[in-house]
Amino acid sequence: MDAADRSLLEETVRDAVTAAAVDGDRVDGVLAELGWLEMLEAEPRDAVEIVFTALGLVNGVAGVLDDVLATALGVTSSPEVAVLLPRFGSWAAPGGEGLLSVRAATASVVLVVDGDGIATVPIGALEVTPVRGADPAGGLHRVRVVGSTDAATPLADGAWDAAVAAGRRALGHQVAGATRTMLDLARSHALDRVQFGRSISSFQAVRHKLAEALVAIEGLEATLGAAWDDGTPITSALAKAAAGRTARSVATHCQQVLAGIGFTTDHPFHLYLKRTMVLEGLFGTADAIVLDVGRELIRTRTVPTLIEL
Amino acid sequence: MDIAEFRAELHAWLDAHHDEVAPPFAPPGTLDERIAQMQRVKGILYEAGWMRWGWPERVGGLGGSPLLRTELGAAMAARGLADPGVYSLVEVLAPTLIEFADPDLAADWVPKLLSGEEMWCQGFSEPGTGSDLATLSCRAVPDGGDPETADTWVINGQKVWTSLAQYSQRCVLLTRTGTPESRHRGITAFFVDMDTPGITISPIEMINGEHEFTEVFFDDVAVPADRILGGVHGGWGVAMSILPYERSSCFWQRIAYLYPRVQRLVDAVGDDDRAAEAVGNAFLALHTVRSRSRATQHRLAAGATLGADTSIDKVLMATAEQTLYDAMRKCAPGVIELEDGAAGDIARIEYLYSRAATIYGGTSEVQRNIIARRLLDLGEDR
Repeated sequence: MDAADRSLLEETVRDAVTAAAVDGDRVDGVLAELGWLEMLEAEPRDAVEIVFTALGLVNGVAGVLDDVLATALGVTSSPEVAVLLPRFGSWAAPGGEGLLSVRAATASVVLVVDGDGIATVPIGALEVTPVRGADPAGGLHRVRVVGSTDAATPLADGAWDAAVAAGRRALGHQVAGATRTMLDLARSHALDRVQFGRSISSFQAVRHKLAEALVAIEGLEATLGAAWDDGTPITSALAKAAAGRTARSVATHCQQVLAGIGFTTDHPFHLYLKRTMVLEGLFGTADAIVLDVGRELIRTRTVPTLIEL
Repeated sequence: MDIAEFRAELHAWLDAHHDEVAPPFAPPGTLDERIAQMQRVKGILYEAGWMRWGWPERVGGLGGSPLLRTELGAAMAARGLADPGVYSLVEVLAPTLIEFADPDLAADWVPKLLSGEEMWCQGFSEPGTGSDLATLSCRAVPDGGDPETADTWVINGQKVWTSLAQYSQRCVLLTRTGTPESRHRGITAFFVDMDTPGITISPIEMINGEHEFTEVFFDDVAVPADRILGGVHGGWGVAMSILPYERSSCFWQRIAYLYPRVQRLVDAVGDDDRAAEAVGNAFLALHTVRSRSRATQHRLAAGATLGADTSIDKVLMATAEQTLYDAMRKCAPGVIELEDGAAGDIARIEYLYSRAATIYGGTSEVQRNIIARRLLDLGEDR
């Protein structure tokens, strides 16, 4: 895909996702019309970057994470298929308990991965409870597998790790989009808000917070680029860790700049804050991933450079 | 030559010639020893051709993408053959000569720098001129008074933080040639021979005990007019041209130097979660700047003009370097603070040096000012 095509597609997806989110329509339907699943198969990197960044930017909700995961697990995806996500904070194959995305609303079957392999379970056989929590609009559900399910089919070696990596990259782009919007909101506020006879964007203390936020976002986007280029699970893990750190750092700086108005529900900042709080726990928090990576480096006494020129 | 192929062949060659290129002293060695080692290795690598890849043929190079020379510098840093901070003067000053010097002058001098025959230094900062470089006051006046016809210029003033001037044969020097208020419009760059009468060099001891920096005094120093780089009053452009290299190839080389330090850390720590967390954080910060820097190298190689966006690289670089050395201090209490053997010396010299990462090459505060104004378009900061 050349730069012009990509730019046009980005705009189209963002407009469509925005319109759907505003009208209360299903974003999934809009993305399906734009050919999301075909794009995911033909140009997975462009598709995931564009769609998840757009979701992050406009705080949209869609079941597209399920498509990414199902595809990584070698299953043909559709709105009928959901994938059981690991418990909050974990990236282990979920087995009997986990989370479902907004896809729970349309899915007839759920792919459940455990230590033995993958099972396709009718959604009716699961105990599914909507989650309100910090982000009621996020569409998450808590799930327990009740009773026995059909025997699991063995998964190819590394298939779950590949699915985790794919999910982490997708979520990383969503966080990158969300933090870009947080920074936009804080930047606009800083330019508009006048105190002591001047725009607060002229105060160095304010400017440096916004600059720090941009540094974090650009760092995150660089790790995502490296994760796609590299393709091994560790670079995707590091990108998800960067996403978690970036979300916290950007939210803190932007909330401080937004001050009083950012502490109210009159201003949209809180929606992005709460969404990223939830996204951080999917497929591992930054702290948990960093600890895991550190343990692995110490266990193997090896420090790979991972990416080359 | 393809970059992956170059990398593979280079490392194979360095493996095969390990004994020849390895430092002849036990680390850390003195600064004198490390400089001599770097120049010796540059000579060997120039002779073998490696040091010439990525440089234009008109200055003795073999052509190819500048990424090739970036890769060579990274290999030297990762293998401990040359300090990246010291080696970086090649990366920043050779391109300056190539872009701004008379072509014959560049063809004569650049091979001397690449082959280790010479070292050059960079005379920018002054006692009254740090972050605000446009206020520099070291004065150059045309002998006879006419800048158009003068054969010689006479320089008076002082520079400070001039790295390695005591080892250098030449200096790329910024001088004031306009009025004191002319700021960036009245600056001229000279390529000065350091053995010219009237130059006095006084090393400064850094907090790690080394003497990398110097003060350089100019007392009626006569420099031929053909040593002007970038024309009279064209010095600001010369100074700004250095930035892309300082923030691209030099960073890639410093990052390459830091990975073996993470290795040293994981070799030394116990199998506990406190260490794992510190190691993981350092590794994440380093991977983040490596990812960013990799994209920057490719943009530069593709012909992009690097500008304010490299301030992001600079902040990430400083963060990564200090996070790593903070992790070392945290995981091995007493080594940096108390140990008197070579391991303690190395850890201490490097740790203390890392404290300057947020200061040199433009402080982190100046970087954030640039990011705020140029990348976030927040307008003036007053």
